[in-house]
Amino acid sequence: MNTTNDIYRLSHQSKIVLAFTSAIALAGFIWPFFYIGNLHWIFVVAIAASAFLLVSEVGIGSIDAKSIALLGVMSAFITLLRPLGAGAAGLEPIWFALIIAARVFGPSWGFLLGITSMTTSALLTGGVGPWLAYQVFAAGWIGLLAGAFPQKIAGRLIRGLPEKVLLVCVGVLASFAFGLLMDLQFWPWVLGSNTQLSYIPGGAISENFSRFIAFHFASSMAWDIPRAILTSVLIVLTATPFLSALRRTYFKAAFLTPIEFKSAIQRRN
Amino acid sequence: MGGACVITFNNVSLIYPHSLHTVFEDLSFTIEEGEMVLVIGATGSGKSSLLRLINGLVPHHTGGILAGDISVDGISTSLTKPGGLAHLIGIVGQNPAHGFVTDTVEDELVFGMEALNFAPEIMRKRVEEILDLLSLAHLRSRSISTLSGGEQQRVAIGSALVMHPKVLVLDEPTSALDPIAAEEVLSILHRLVHDLGLTVVVSEHKLERVIGFTDRIIAISPDGKADIDIPEEILKKSLIAPPIVHLARALNLDSVGTSVREVRRMTTHLRDYTPLLSQPRQVTGETVVAIEKLNHLYGEKMALREISLDFKAGEITAVMGRNGAGKSTLFKSIVGFHKASGGQVKVLGNDPTELSGRQRLSTIGYIPQEPSDLLIHSSVAKECAASDRDNGLEDGSTFAFLQRVTPKINPDAHPRDLSEGQRLSLVLALILCGAPDVLIMDEPTRGLDYQAKSLLVDTLVSYARNLGKCVLIATHDVELVAEVADRVVFLADGDVVADGTTLDVLLSSPAFAPQVAKVMSPAPWLTVKDALRGIAQISGKDSQE
Repeated sequence: MNTTNDIYRLSHQSKIVLAFTSAIALAGFIWPFFYIGNLHWIFVVAIAASAFLLVSEVGIGSIDAKSIALLGVMSAFITLLRPLGAGAAGLEPIWFALIIAARVFGPSWGFLLGITSMTTSALLTGGVGPWLAYQVFAAGWIGLLAGAFPQKIAGRLIRGLPEKVLLVCVGVLASFAFGLLMDLQFWPWVLGSNTQLSYIPGGAISENFSRFIAFHFASSMAWDIPRAILTSVLIVLTATPFLSALRRTYFKAAFLTPIEFKSAIQRRN
Repeated sequence: MGGACVITFNNVSLIYPHSLHTVFEDLSFTIEEGEMVLVIGATGSGKSSLLRLINGLVPHHTGGILAGDISVDGISTSLTKPGGLAHLIGIVGQNPAHGFVTDTVEDELVFGMEALNFAPEIMRKRVEEILDLLSLAHLRSRSISTLSGGEQQRVAIGSALVMHPKVLVLDEPTSALDPIAAEEVLSILHRLVHDLGLTVVVSEHKLERVIGFTDRIIAISPDGKADIDIPEEILKKSLIAPPIVHLARALNLDSVGTSVREVRRMTTHLRDYTPLLSQPRQVTGETVVAIEKLNHLYGEKMALREISLDFKAGEITAVMGRNGAGKSTLFKSIVGFHKASGGQVKVLGNDPTELSGRQRLSTIGYIPQEPSDLLIHSSVAKECAASDRDNGLEDGSTFAFLQRVTPKINPDAHPRDLSEGQRLSLVLALILCGAPDVLIMDEPTRGLDYQAKSLLVDTLVSYARNLGKCVLIATHDVELVAEVADRVVFLADGDVVADGTTLDVLLSSPAFAPQVAKVMSPAPWLTVKDALRGIAQISGKDSQE
């Protein structure tokens, strides 16, 4: 039967492009452990190129007016939230919104929201630089993750308290994962060459790894823990009204609603 | 008329998914080129659905079962998606601000053409054309948010027209506008129909505004049937009708007129008598709101200047005036939203900015322009339960109150899914069950149909007269003022320019006189009821003599 368009879902081709570009991005995050000469700038370029490739791929696919509208509104909302946190000490009040929205609208759309909201909010906070492409991928992955959990288990809808618990777990996980990825991204550049925690170009994997863990532990205390706490608190406080407002929107947008054209119909009432 | 058919509905029926009712049944009509057609019907009868069927948004975006065939300029909407009809049909919504995508007037006009990749020379030419056609040239580089409601609506119409559509569809284009702005928009539509031969389909609640411009009316009845005919025929039997039509019916005139002039000509024999002056109701309640030399400044701008007014218990006062005259500022001062820049406001001897909690609820009830701003819960039942708690009432009393006003309301419905009328009833119930001493309403009739309006009138009148409360309304709607108000305060530029009984104030200004008063002038009757009572008195006196 004919229906209205579904909310945005990645096509097979888009999934392949997503896997491919994500692999490049991942390599870009972990290259310091596998130093192969003075080539690390390639990753900065490659990741930015991958982000462009990805966006153009999903853009070409048929993305429906309603999905675009939802994406625009939520990106604008998150973009406005971002400057509120000033970015200091990991207090970023954007993750709870990304996670809750992705939970309602699904992984593909959540991935797009991560990408668009990170990009647009960077324009507003002046955070455009080589790190942006890394942040964009990290945010996209978090949206993908948050949207990927099932809506029901064994025929029962996950709603209410269990859903809140799930979202808080995702929030904590995302906060730490984002911290880890960002640390990986700037650790080689940030400390200079002669501290105990500094990256050693071409050093043994084990040596660099233990230095990174020490560095990450230190930064984690300062950034990831506040980020996880803030995100969890915001999820606990806002999940109920936020989820119900977004689910109402989802219902109102009439995704996948049957359309039928007939020559005559029977009166129903 | 014999012109070419632009829109054809052939045995159209519509059912939405998740619904048990057919919205329309077996609808057949044609609309010809250069016609202006008005769609009327009670709230929820399917006016918007009908308009959206024309460009295929229903059912392509909403889902649903559509039987029969609709074609626009020969293109069937069942075979073509809305995007494929975009060049043929321009659509304008109720609130233009919701549809704008850019900041300035020129950018907004260009936006649609940019999206369809028009050549720059064509865009240039068309923008100039539209700026002239809609008299927007002096506003071309203005930021849209600084325009008045009427100007915004004109920009919205302009951005639909740049695509050179054959059909323009407008869903209640003037219901959010004050009378002057509405006039501005409607005369533009009139010109488009007459000069360009554009086909216009428009829905509207306030019939008195549009009726003079329309060629034919589609009246949708609640059972899904629809009639299409010339206005005079439809209005003979329609429940939805402007005051002059009700007057003509009440007086048993042979035909109904659509303009004041026509009805006035039909009723010359009734004005031969010298009418008795009707006695205005005397209000003798205690003073509830006392305002003394109130000033209010917004930065440099003086919004209120040395205002001194008293409002009594049992009195309904209408505050009128242009947009920006200071009505809302005055109300906000009484509610206590802001401290006055000078002078003082006392509500039952208290400073309203210092009231809080339950004392505030039982002293001042305020309903803002957008009543849904007060609705925060996810269902009608939850709103009512919250109001019981807040006002310290027995469980269920708010809902009982609500059911007395609108018996058919569904307690599980989301407040934002209710019709405008039901939503206002809900908000009224939430506020009134706390029995505040002053009820303040800002523009209560925006978007209400006649039925919802008469419900509002009954509720307000009984609240003021039976319970002896003070009621203040700010409104542009003279017909509402004529029905409910005892007294009218007219503001202009922050000053009180008129303050007196409704009769005195409304009759002294031709622009603000209600339709019945214009027809019956010089007889001092404002409403159909007044006129009937007055005529009965005169003829009673005649037969005694």
